Amino acid sequence: MPVRLLFLFIALCGASLLIGARQLTWPLPADAWLTLTASRLPRLVALVLTGVGLSVCGVILQHIVRNKFVEPGTSGGLDAAKLGILVSLTVLPATGTAGRMLFALVFCFAASLLYVAIIRRIRFRNTVLVPVVGLMYGSVLSAVAEFYAWRHNILQSMQGWLLGDFSRVVQGHYEILYVIVPVVALAYLYAHRFTVLGMGEDMAASLGLGYAATAAVGLVLVAVTVSATVIAVGAIPFVGLVVPQLVALRRGDNLGRTLPIVAFGGAALLLACDILGRLLMYPFEVPIGLTAGGVGGALFLVLILRGLR
Amino acid sequence: MRSGRLWMFWLAAAVLAGAFVFAGAGLDFGYVIPKRLVRLAAIAVGGVCVALSAIVFQTLAGNRILTPAILGYEAVYLLWQSLLLLLLGTEGLAALGVGGNFAVSIALMLGYSWALQRWLLRSGANDVYLLLLLGLVLTMVIGTFTQFVQLRISPGEFAVFQGLSHASFNRARPETLALSALAVAAVCLAARRSLPVLDVLALGREQALSLGVDHARQVRRHLALIAVLVAVSTSLIGPTAFLGIFVAHIAYALAGSSRHRATLPLGCAVAIAIFLAAQLLVEHAFNYQTTVSILVNLVCGAYFLALVVRGRGTA
Repeated sequence: MPVRLLFLFIALCGASLLIGARQLTWPLPADAWLTLTASRLPRLVALVLTGVGLSVCGVILQHIVRNKFVEPGTSGGLDAAKLGILVSLTVLPATGTAGRMLFALVFCFAASLLYVAIIRRIRFRNTVLVPVVGLMYGSVLSAVAEFYAWRHNILQSMQGWLLGDFSRVVQGHYEILYVIVPVVALAYLYAHRFTVLGMGEDMAASLGLGYAATAAVGLVLVAVTVSATVIAVGAIPFVGLVVPQLVALRRGDNLGRTLPIVAFGGAALLLACDILGRLLMYPFEVPIGLTAGGVGGALFLVLILRGLR
Repeated sequence: MRSGRLWMFWLAAAVLAGAFVFAGAGLDFGYVIPKRLVRLAAIAVGGVCVALSAIVFQTLAGNRILTPAILGYEAVYLLWQSLLLLLLGTEGLAALGVGGNFAVSIALMLGYSWALQRWLLRSGANDVYLLLLLGLVLTMVIGTFTQFVQLRISPGEFAVFQGLSHASFNRARPETLALSALAVAAVCLAARRSLPVLDVLALGREQALSLGVDHARQVRRHLALIAVLVAVSTSLIGPTAFLGIFVAHIAYALAGSSRHRATLPLGCAVAIAIFLAAQLLVEHAFNYQTTVSILVNLVCGAYFLALVVRGRGTA
């Protein structure tokens, strides 16, 4: 675990607590505690959990599919979760957050399973095609969602769920994100198996690993994380894509060793993007979906262009 | 080449066109039929654009599950439309007019394509797959920005945006149609002259080089033609996403030959027939409860899924 990353992470946590529309001065006024406990701390926790969850999710998915360009956004998982929420809203409008999450989870898991099945059947001539197929697969799913949403006239609000935004996160509105804790713990427990999974089906089988079962466990973990984050904060692109790439460049692909770095890196990137979003139009906010899309996209382009040389 | 099938398809397209123009019009040559003729022309121009761009792009990429829509042109178009509504509102849209919006959209998409290729050339690589990867990332980035803008505009303006973001033939005006028809005719002439080159390019880079075709130069040239086609069709009728894959596959299956002289015209006929059928379905069967683009996306998307699930081949 690199010390520098840890320090950066702690500094970002501190900054995230201090920055906001309400300025905190020292000594803390009496009502500052309310700001901290009702809004700042929940936001920090939500940010860290989401960052950790998304980057771990991305790395698991990349090992299952054996492609570095895959994340929930480029494998149809996000669109499936959106479709699931839409169905739960129209079929069972009275259902709560847990019910919606269940729908999103089931849809996301089924879609990821189908995606992995498709990818394994095709022999790809170029690695770029794997996410391209995923993206097109995702837009088929969102065509279904649009067909449905058009009839129920909720197209605009549907766009809203999909743009990551932490300004809604206050006490009582983010607790569903805690399911990411057991997911990450399980991922860490299974880290070596996922590493072996990333070596291919034949290698995994000869090392005594049940390919299908391990892949299914990984997909369940991914589906749980994706559905929880989409419901609580919306979609955040590129975190699951950039962080594992950066870590793999320096430290290789042994997940048993790199998973903590990936997790902290994801949390740090998300915290940085969030602080940037809060400062850009101070005292208003830019949604994190936008800043993460910009920062993550730029990082990713730099990675691609460096890879060319 | 089995020209009988081509004629059959053009005949089917003509019958559909007749049904589209005359169904329930009561031979009203003063208002209804001229209006429908304009839409028919938009369908014809759009169909030709979609079919040509998809088939030529699949040839260049050497891959039959791709469409140029994923290079990010449509994302640029959608971002521009939403920004226009956010910054200027519906009055701005009215002031710019259909023709103005059409021209600016085309210019932006061509600029995007030029910048992308320029960048690619400077970095020393000349590879359709790299173009795909860059297009993919840029589509994701631009898509996030569009989503943000969509959330900021008022519901009334969003309704306008919705109209612009779905393929529709009602936006076309005679003057924009004339411009697009000219552009498409020019591209068709250029493509006609390079039909044999396209057949050689379909064999792959090494074969093409050994047969004496300057692969890099020809790929650049055809990508530019594709950019023009996609820009015209997107500004004229809106994003069509999957239709290209669907059309190209039907054309390959029916033509019984992979020579472009056979597949390109057949593809055009297929695209026009599909557009007409979708428009007729929306007007008469669904009673405007859905849109052409949602219908086309659903059917073509399902076909795409079936294609990748069933075919265990290479891609």
